[in-house]
Amino acid sequence: MQGPLIDTLVRQGVSRRTFLKYCATLASMMALPPTAGRAMAEAMAASRRPSVIWLPFQECTGCTESITRSHSPTIEGMIFDMISLDYQETLMAAAGFQAEEALHNAMKDNFGKYLLIIDGSIPLGVDGAYSCIAGRSNLDLLKDAAKGAAAIVAMGSCASYGGIPKANPNPTGAVSVSDIIKDKPIVNIPGCPPIPVVMTGVLAHYLTFGSLPELDDKGRPKAFYGETIHDRCYRRPFYDQGKFAKTFDDEGARNGWCLFELGCKGPVTYNACATTKWNGGTSWPVESGHGCLGCSEPDFWDAGSFYKALSTPANPLKLAATATVVGAAAGVAVSFANRAKKDAAKKAHQPVTLADLEK
Amino acid sequence: MSLEAIPIHVITHAPSEPGLSGNAPPLLREISELLQRLLDSGESAAIDLSALPLTPADLDWLQAILGAGEIAITLQASGESTLSETACPGVWWVTHRNENGAVTSQFIEVAFIPELAKAHPLDVAIGREQLELLISDL
Repeated sequence: MQGPLIDTLVRQGVSRRTFLKYCATLASMMALPPTAGRAMAEAMAASRRPSVIWLPFQECTGCTESITRSHSPTIEGMIFDMISLDYQETLMAAAGFQAEEALHNAMKDNFGKYLLIIDGSIPLGVDGAYSCIAGRSNLDLLKDAAKGAAAIVAMGSCASYGGIPKANPNPTGAVSVSDIIKDKPIVNIPGCPPIPVVMTGVLAHYLTFGSLPELDDKGRPKAFYGETIHDRCYRRPFYDQGKFAKTFDDEGARNGWCLFELGCKGPVTYNACATTKWNGGTSWPVESGHGCLGCSEPDFWDAGSFYKALSTPANPLKLAATATVVGAAAGVAVSFANRAKKDAAKKAHQPVTLADLEK
Repeated sequence: MSLEAIPIHVITHAPSEPGLSGNAPPLLREISELLQRLLDSGESAAIDLSALPLTPADLDWLQAILGAGEIAITLQASGESTLSETACPGVWWVTHRNENGAVTSQFIEVAFIPELAKAHPLDVAIGREQLELLISDL
């Protein structure tokens, strides 16, 4: 195992064993065979750092925070040593003219080869005037940067599906990257924010195999978005036993029972939170006692209340649509509908705590 | 479509112990095959335990069946990893943890020596250079 990358890492005090361990874990999380860890390590160690251009559009910088702050200094941060991050407004030391020059140079020198990362949605209203960088609209910047990109990574729900800026009534006319760019490979990494290891996994796949990982029908890497939160949830046995928390402070909540009736969107949300968890494997929303918001699904903000159970007809439009698109989820939706009938009377009653939360 | 529409009824035997899924025993056959391959060709292999539908009880069962062997290696590399030989020589239980002590991945490795335990020739070369420096300072 040798090459430019591992030499750099060794100089920085990252041992080969640490790197091998990292690759083994990454391969496991990406559902690659165990031998792939070794192959990834070999390939990445020898890889030349690809140029990466990261453009922030209509966003809150939460995606950048997620990637840069949640890792220990060496592990997820390692990926930043494996790429040449030529433009990232939040992280780069350069500003103004120097920053724009770095962007233009990277685009010119690596034309056709750079990886373009986008976070944030693209506003189309008023000719894109709602969000501009250096006097140019996001739409203009995206079209320009996409021309020379080998592939595009849409980071977060905004870049993937429009996200919160696109929520009703969508005042800026926000759209996703894939709504505009049609002729480049695009990988969506939705989530509000997305899980850091998904991002590093996609980059590692790109470095190792020179291509994007296998994607599902919504453009998401199957390795991380292949199953619902509900299917991988450690509280799933309670769902199967019919043990539900009814309020956030009842006996069921204290016993860690299923949060389905408190509005958990886990059954229709495809993401890896239940397995990778958050903050270095510390916990994740359901483990901390709150249902899943479904933040990695399209239009999650407009899919009804966060605190109404999926089966209640609050606004099942988006969620029902999601369920019918994905065959496996359809059966789940049917059983929810049946539950709804049975528990209709119970559901009509909304505990005060929940009503308060919705205000 | 509901499962009732399929005219085949699956008879599930109640697991002998709570929490056991019955997925662990077939792994023993796979390990046995991998051991034979190791003996025949010297080729090592690994099974990713986090990629399989195993409950915590399954993992405990598997660990109890395989038993504890003579060697346990501890690796300090961005969190502690343990590489423990089971009572079956050549079968290693490898657990990687992060800095917070949480398990990040778990493997059964079938090898004479686990991959991670070996020193890389380039690291050995660097180590020797440093040793030579130390000697010259004496």
